[in-house]
Amino acid sequence: MIRAVGLSKHYGRTRAVDDLSFEVRAGLVTGFLGPNGSGKSTTMRMIMGLDRPDSGSVTLDGRRFHDLPWPLREVGALLEAKAVHPGRSAHNHLVSLAQTNAIPAARVDEVLEQVGLTSVADKRVGKFSLGMSQRLGIASALLGDPEVLLFDEPINGLDPEGILWVRNLLKSLAAEGRTIFVSSHLMSEMALTATDLVVIGRGRLIADTTVAEFISSNTVPTVLVRSPEEGRLAEALAGASLDTTVRPGDGGGLVVTGATPAQIGDVAHGAGIALHELSPQQASLEEVFMDLTSEAVDYHGTTAVEAVS
Amino acid sequence: MTLVETRFPSTEPGRAGLRLSLLSEWTKVRSVRSTWISLIVIVVAGIGLSALVSNIEAGRWASLGVADRLQFDPVRFSQTGEFISQFVVGVLGALVVTSEYATGSIRTTLATVPRRSTVLAAKGIVIATVIFVVTEITAFTSFFVGQAVLTAHGGRTLPSGSTIVTQVTSSAIPVIGITHAGAARAVFLCGIYLTLLTLIAFGFGFILRHTAGAISSFVGVLLVLPLIVQVLPSSIADPIEKFLPSNLGLAMIVVTSRKTDFAGVLMAPWMAAATLLGYTAVVVALGAWLLARRDA
Repeated sequence: MIRAVGLSKHYGRTRAVDDLSFEVRAGLVTGFLGPNGSGKSTTMRMIMGLDRPDSGSVTLDGRRFHDLPWPLREVGALLEAKAVHPGRSAHNHLVSLAQTNAIPAARVDEVLEQVGLTSVADKRVGKFSLGMSQRLGIASALLGDPEVLLFDEPINGLDPEGILWVRNLLKSLAAEGRTIFVSSHLMSEMALTATDLVVIGRGRLIADTTVAEFISSNTVPTVLVRSPEEGRLAEALAGASLDTTVRPGDGGGLVVTGATPAQIGDVAHGAGIALHELSPQQASLEEVFMDLTSEAVDYHGTTAVEAVS
Repeated sequence: MTLVETRFPSTEPGRAGLRLSLLSEWTKVRSVRSTWISLIVIVVAGIGLSALVSNIEAGRWASLGVADRLQFDPVRFSQTGEFISQFVVGVLGALVVTSEYATGSIRTTLATVPRRSTVLAAKGIVIATVIFVVTEITAFTSFFVGQAVLTAHGGRTLPSGSTIVTQVTSSAIPVIGITHAGAARAVFLCGIYLTLLTLIAFGFGFILRHTAGAISSFVGVLLVLPLIVQVLPSSIADPIEKFLPSNLGLAMIVVTSRKTDFAGVLMAPWMAAATLLGYTAVVVALGAWLLARRDA
């Protein structure tokens, strides 16, 4: 289990992480979400004892990183994929890491096999693609067979097959009872992999919840309606004693917020309007996330939607 | 609340300490080509230049006047390669540290041990030991090669304890035996000088965390600092000069033959070694302090 209490960290005048508290439970994949520059990597570095918090603390099963006698056996981390001397072979890189924690050399071949790098084990890492480097980083995290695993953007640079492999790996590691904390700026990816979510924006906690709850509590149910008399339907809905808003859908039809499909059907029936479609819309995690963090994004593209509220 | 049966229990006695980090750092040092290239340069430059320079100097002996003959230093000729090696060891000492900062792998390294000082100590011990062994072997081999070349040109070994003065009027080129007063010490301190320089560059690596910065600072101390001191008025420059690292190095390899020449200008050999050791300790300690204190 990872527990952060009141974590804060600033670099110069920038507040990277601001009074962040959360828990990451064992046996689950917990997604760590936030736009680029929101403080995810800083938080992960503080968990690994690499950056010192200005205030607050973070513990791994109740202990700070610097109190772990065998760090690699307790916590494995993929922080930067390309963080290997380009002139060293993958095998030698992993051997040098294994030696620090008295992990037998046979384990190196095992993790290389697990990530599918056995055939290039003796090649210089400088020749590796980003995807291969990412796999090597994952191998180094797995090396000590640790209970806690941290992955910072693990699917960057992977092909579709590799992405699927990472998803399954994360789930199976969690199923073994390990604590899995994986950061991403891609909501859709987390929807597929994670059970719990820690969401941050500008270094502050936005949500510490489950994926399912996160979506349901942050979305108002909407319904897509198609009808040959959409103009009349809109009027009928406005006239009904319902607090609805109606706007045209992107692909035609009407998007109705604030009423259930049953209520809309009743109104249409009462007005004698035929309906061709009446379907509840599930807001995607992506949309929820965009809404929530739009104020908390540091670097907007020029065409980005400005903060709504 | 351990749910997982992990293969390498964290409850095992002991911890990820210095002994294990030494193994790891040795694996790192020997698994990159730059180490081997640097070591080969040290050995080849050391022995090759000893033979070459001794050969040239021997050829000049007959035409030298008395004043020049007093400058004739068979030990120093054999250690000419030291001038090149000091830059090679500087680059190697810095790279051991800064290559990890350049790639970001320093964070991977620091995440394997509870204490950062363990990483610094392990890296320093490994690189210093490698450099010490290679430079001592090179220094002694170069010494014997150099003296053999002089002997082949008709040189005669000076009686132990005597100075070159006894031979300035003779036609025989002076050759120094390893048992000659100060000879073994001078050759031995050549390796010590290079080992301490390695550690100074290593310390700069941790202070600056940048390859170009660490190497240029190191070169600055060895080459630029003496130039600056030279242009100072002699009332200021004279007392400082003997404290320059490059002059400490010179003091360490001077043998009886040139003692009179440098009296007052250079420190006594062991004193010079102790002073350079002090500089090294300060630079490495500053690096260690910053490593412990700064975000990685």
